[in-house]
Amino acid sequence: MTEELDFLGQDSDGGSEEVVLTPAELIERLEQAWMNEKFAPELLESKPEIVECVMEQLEHMEENLRRAKREDLKVSIHQMEMERIRYVLSSYLRCRLMKIEKFFPHVLEKEKTRPEGEPSSLSPEELAFAREFMVNTETYLKNVALKHMPPNLQKVDLFRAVPKPDLDSYVFLRVRERQENILVEPDTDEQRDYVIDLEKGSQHLIRYKTIAPLVASGAVQLI
Amino acid sequence: GDLGPFNPGLPVEVPLWLAINLKQRQKCRLLPPEWMDVEKLEKMRDHERKEETFTPMPSPYYMELTKLLLNHASDNIPKADEIRTLVKDMWDTRIAKLRVSADSFVRQQEAHAKLDNLTLMEINTSGTFLTQALNHMYKLRTNLQPSESTQSQDF
Repeated sequence: MTEELDFLGQDSDGGSEEVVLTPAELIERLEQAWMNEKFAPELLESKPEIVECVMEQLEHMEENLRRAKREDLKVSIHQMEMERIRYVLSSYLRCRLMKIEKFFPHVLEKEKTRPEGEPSSLSPEELAFAREFMVNTETYLKNVALKHMPPNLQKVDLFRAVPKPDLDSYVFLRVRERQENILVEPDTDEQRDYVIDLEKGSQHLIRYKTIAPLVASGAVQLI
Repeated sequence: GDLGPFNPGLPVEVPLWLAINLKQRQKCRLLPPEWMDVEKLEKMRDHERKEETFTPMPSPYYMELTKLLLNHASDNIPKADEIRTLVKDMWDTRIAKLRVSADSFVRQQEAHAKLDNLTLMEINTSGTFLTQALNHMYKLRTNLQPSESTQSQDF
């Protein structure tokens, strides 16, 4: 369990990077990605490396357990730990799927217009899921309702019909790296913009839009 | 993760979930954390009552730890009932302060708040309600101003 992992960065990162992560760090990264995803109003970048490594680790642990002797205590403790990690992983993936289902036209549009070199917010499987979901929804709407409407009303623009993710919602965050001069925009015309510094370790309540790039870079953690 | 060598009779540090599980299987005895002591908690509670802002708590998970330890291992913790009352007092004081500050936050339409020394449990107890309320207020406010035409509906 104390082995270190090597993994190579994947396609869209443009070139391979080798990063060595201990299992403890990997789990910590998974938990951070999980919390960020839970509290962010939009779908965040997909983290294929973390997901794959965690699944590899889980399989590894399962194999070890099968081979190990029937020492009740050790085996059951490891099983408990595996269940916990599995729960976090599936909760993370479930949260992403829920956001994909909720905002599917916007997610697909973003993926289509994504510039080269920018990391995708969908893994290949998620992309396939989103596309299928879109096709299914369109077919369903057509067969259930649109077919029976007068001809000039038979189109529905899903992009306009489905609400956009609300980037102005407020989130709680904890600062991991000190940031200076974050511009806080006013809500009303009477207030003026002001800048704040974010100290390391402090906690704040602020609109998501202001700090969205910081979440993506890992400088703050949503709580 | 790694867990230290388990030698009978010697205390060892383990994650909380494991400790509770072992205790339920009656395989171990739990030692209360250092701060879970009547005098220390009394001092902290009085300090919290005097200050207007939030004071640092002995542990970022004091509420969860107290609840779990007192429910499963109260036989290992001296003066469990007093501790329960003291921690509850601290919790009530802090939640009251939180309510007051949330109220003034909404009233003065601030765009940002700093909340150090608040533990996760407190934030999440009132957090969902607060963020949703703030979201609604924000929408109501921004719709008062002449808005540019938007292409698709906002939520």
